[in-house]
Amino acid sequence: MERKLVCARCGKTLENKETYFAYFGHQLHTDLPCCPQCGQVYVDKELAEGKMRNTEAELEDK
Amino acid sequence: MPYLKDHVIGKTRSICPICGRQLPAQRVRRGEDILLEKSCPEHGDFSTVIWRGRLNINSWTCGNEPLGDDYNPNCPYDCGLCRHHISDTCCVLYEVTRRCNLHCSFCFAEGGAGEDISIDKIKRDICDIVRPGQTFLQLSGGEPTVRDDLPEIVAYAKAQGCKFLQLNSNGLRLAEDEQFVRQLAEAGLSFVFLQFDGTRDDIYRKLRGRELLEIKKQAIDNCGKHHIGVTLVPTLVPGVNTNDIGNIVRFGISRVPYVRGVHFQPVSYFGRYPAPPANEDRYTLSELVADLGQQTNGMVNITNIAPSHCDHPLCGFHSSFIAMEDGRFIALTKPDSEGCCCGVTTAEQNREYIGRRWSRPDESEIPAAVPSEAGEPDDLDEFLRQAKTRAFTVTAMAFQDAYNLDIERIRRCSLHVYADGKFMPFCAHYLTLGGGQ
Repeated sequence: MERKLVCARCGKTLENKETYFAYFGHQLHTDLPCCPQCGQVYVDKELAEGKMRNTEAELEDK
Repeated sequence: MPYLKDHVIGKTRSICPICGRQLPAQRVRRGEDILLEKSCPEHGDFSTVIWRGRLNINSWTCGNEPLGDDYNPNCPYDCGLCRHHISDTCCVLYEVTRRCNLHCSFCFAEGGAGEDISIDKIKRDICDIVRPGQTFLQLSGGEPTVRDDLPEIVAYAKAQGCKFLQLNSNGLRLAEDEQFVRQLAEAGLSFVFLQFDGTRDDIYRKLRGRELLEIKKQAIDNCGKHHIGVTLVPTLVPGVNTNDIGNIVRFGISRVPYVRGVHFQPVSYFGRYPAPPANEDRYTLSELVADLGQQTNGMVNITNIAPSHCDHPLCGFHSSFIAMEDGRFIALTKPDSEGCCCGVTTAEQNREYIGRRWSRPDESEIPAAVPSEAGEPDDLDEFLRQAKTRAFTVTAMAFQDAYNLDIERIRRCSLHVYADGKFMPFCAHYLTLGGGQ
């Protein structure tokens, strides 16, 4: 069964929403669980240590 | 040689290009040019242009530690690396042969005939060189591909734990012998530094004695088919190919993902060259930066070029891009507003950075293509896929010769040649005295 994520602040169930990241002047987007009330997003460990870290490595200079 | 005091912008040490003795030297501004000037009590005065134009040399080199009194009075003749040397080894260059199948007007390695180095000696040397999981080894020559056992050498270096393996080649055999390219790929070759002086055959006739453009294209295709990254390496000679710089960059981009970048090398006068150089025969790093901007219509320009962090800033620069499938050319390198190089990069950071960009990624590292609607370039997955597969670098290295040799630069060198059991800075190893041959 899929885990239900709830916003700790608002108590609302998070819903997938297109979310933009800005890093080193570049804007990229992906779908992330997002609180429909306050807009806070949830970045899970796999995404943070995987694709997001890889993206940082590509965008950063030496 | 008399100077106005405020014309001297820096002091360093150099050598007499005739007898080789170490001399005090000064960087002197004359109009928009910066010259390295020195006097030998026996052979007279020498004044060599090292920088031209409006790009500010002080901004470019800011934060770089001047030589001061911390130098070896016997540099560069005491080499191996001594306690005065600052930079660690980033890349090791190793000659596997002195034979060559071209006879170029310009060559840092003089080339020649005669008995080849034995495979046993090469294996012993590789054991000395390789630090497992770290070493970035350039197999050079002569022309390494004249050796039929080159795939065995590559496989041996990989087995010893070499992390990145680069082949420096003129591409002749890579074009003619696809089976050989396949063997090199299977042995673990990471990428090829392909001598590529321009997009016109008159350039090759002048510099290499014959037309080579179609051969270069075939070499790129063969390497591409076998998943070996190719970086184009033009030697830039004033009046020959400095007006082709923009075309070379565009040609490289048109061959992405096979081509991973362009590495420009302004001509230097060591090894074999036609005659002692006048200042008109020199092309400086600052001119290259300006011409890149002009000839690429600003695609590659001072706002996305950073001076070398790992070596001395007067030794080179780097600039990193993604050549997106939709035609956009996204700049990743963003030096600060002054083009400053104050950040210091370790040899290890530099090695990882260039090794990763010059290699083509393993299939397993590439995220799957994203279905059309989500597959726009700003989508995180799509961006990552293109960043891995379509990375493109524009880099440069300005080698030194006996005329413009600067000991401050030598001691910051991270490209080391292994020979006779020692590691030496590249320009110290290939230094030629007495006016060339």
